Amino acid sequence: MGDILGLVLKRLGLGLVILLIISVIIFFMVELLPGDIAEAVLGQGATEDNLAALREQMGLNKPAIMRYLEWLSGALMFDFGSSIVTQEPVMSVIGERFLNTLFLAAYAAVIAVPFAIILGVIVALLRNSIFDRVANVLTLTSISSPEFFLGYILILYFSVKWGMFPAIANLSEGMTFWELLERTFLPALTLVLVVVAHMMRMTRAAIINLLASPYIEMARLKGVPPWKVIVRHALPNAWAPIINVVALNLAYLITGVVLVEVVFVYPGVGQALVDAVSKRDFPVVQACCLIFAATFILLNLAADVGAILTNPRLRHPK
Amino acid sequence: MSVFVIGYYALLLSASCLAAYFNKRSVFLLLFSLTLVSFVVGIVGGAGALKAIAIGAGMLALAAMVSYAFREFLILLASTEMAKELRTAPLTAAFGMFVIFTYAIAGIFAPIIAPYGEAEVISSAFAPADENMLLGADQLGRDMFSRLVYGTRNSVGLALTATCAAFIMGAGAGLLAATKGGWFDQFMGRFADVIMSIPSLIFALLMLSIFGPSMPVIIIAVSIIYAPRVFRLTRAVAGNVVVMDYIEAAKLRGEGTGYLIRREILPNSTAPLIAEFGLEFCFVFLLVAGLSFLGLGIQPPTADWGSMVRENATLISFGEITPLIPAAAIALLTVGVNFVVDWMLHRSSGLKE
Repeated sequence: MGDILGLVLKRLGLGLVILLIISVIIFFMVELLPGDIAEAVLGQGATEDNLAALREQMGLNKPAIMRYLEWLSGALMFDFGSSIVTQEPVMSVIGERFLNTLFLAAYAAVIAVPFAIILGVIVALLRNSIFDRVANVLTLTSISSPEFFLGYILILYFSVKWGMFPAIANLSEGMTFWELLERTFLPALTLVLVVVAHMMRMTRAAIINLLASPYIEMARLKGVPPWKVIVRHALPNAWAPIINVVALNLAYLITGVVLVEVVFVYPGVGQALVDAVSKRDFPVVQACCLIFAATFILLNLAADVGAILTNPRLRHPK
Repeated sequence: MSVFVIGYYALLLSASCLAAYFNKRSVFLLLFSLTLVSFVVGIVGGAGALKAIAIGAGMLALAAMVSYAFREFLILLASTEMAKELRTAPLTAAFGMFVIFTYAIAGIFAPIIAPYGEAEVISSAFAPADENMLLGADQLGRDMFSRLVYGTRNSVGLALTATCAAFIMGAGAGLLAATKGGWFDQFMGRFADVIMSIPSLIFALLMLSIFGPSMPVIIIAVSIIYAPRVFRLTRAVAGNVVVMDYIEAAKLRGEGTGYLIRREILPNSTAPLIAEFGLEFCFVFLLVAGLSFLGLGIQPPTADWGSMVRENATLISFGEITPLIPAAAIALLTVGVNFVVDWMLHRSSGLKE
């Protein structure tokens, strides 16, 4: 058990280092601005006095390294400073929205993961049949469509033509859980469509790769029934790639959510990020980027750790 | 039961019987499962749903015929070597090539094809389609069709430029890293790791918020985001070539790095690189479309598909499909490129089946 713990800790440490580098990139990218933040915010017509006042207020007179350390130590305690535009603390803008985004992603994941894995296994078993080819074309189409295309098609049919679900996913206080699920059904479905296609293809590839290995052929030749070949022989080795597929796609969900949130006017971090980018509200942009990047790295880490835990071979790297 | 419904089932069943009689197993399976699905859909949705299925199947058949004809056309035009390759192309790949060909024509000859200028206001806002305007007008009264045609040039052109930039950076660094090795290889590898661990859309938004949305910024940002992916693949492919004996021989002959890359490594790794170019183009195109949908891409009044979707999105709530057309144009091109790439990957790598 000891060496597993060591490996996992090593991966965690590596993730932390990458996160640290990313925080440096996110912070110092803003320093690359021609002029500085104060000039960018106040624009052409700013007087020297105004600029000086804003610089004082934002602490721009200190050296960049000091500001970075302050920002980073604040970020560790979820304090990202305050927004330039509204003067509110960034966390009060994003905090609740982040929960909303997580809810949407989780909703989509709960539907998509079992669905995609079962379909992926079925398609892998039926490989090279006409169903496999149809599935191949359908999943490729779904992957290649931009999220907003799928989203608007769903809105057009499910809400405008058939009136089954609301087109705008606005949340309000005191909604029951069922209402919440109904309101957010269309954005979740859009995400599901994209993610299921990705996951199906990856699961199919993983399983086919396995089924081509000699020990499966051996099992088949000695007369093991097909379902048993899958469940007893293939599946134990398939867990690692499948866990990888799931975690990678969850990471995709967290960021793919940005476009979907804008289409459905869903109050999540993605929408806040896009608003902040167009208003050039740098503290909010930095905070959102850091949150997204951290989630992304965390899920990728989970993929690695899951793969190590389920596959003994990875525990003893050559 | 209307004549349509009876005719529909009669056609499907007779076609599946014919397929079964002539031992076309896969065709039979497809047709018969379509019949079974139609039973369920017909009971739930009535004749309207069946009509929708019939229209969909008809369009698919039309697309299949077009791609078949286009493949034969290409085989006739191409040299014998190429024609042999083309004969192995599945219909989906032929369809993809047809789509790419059409888009190229539309993009290159945009000013000739489009009846109006891209920023020309010719009627009232959201005017419906008439004999002057094939697809109606947009939110400012500009001709939708003309903007769509010009959009081919702008959106695809931007994505293509960004992909080329990413490719030159990524492939160049990858080839150098593979031949040089050592600390340069290590450093570039770690650098690529860091860039790839930031979600692409988020990274693009960060850069655009700092430098403001303009063409050069978008191209540079997108190429920085996607260059590491190209780098990884090139590094892997070239890494396999570098260990070959003929490279060793060339080194012993005293050839320089430039010669090694150009004359020995590149010719032996073009196939996967071309496929990667197609894939990369799809990613870049979708990212750029997403950015312009968010209002952070090519700025108005230049016609661009992503922003056209956003500007006309209000029409959706009236049940109009106009805003979906530019989105469909994006999807169609990516699907087409993906189909071609799928075929090329199959051909060059022999994926396990």
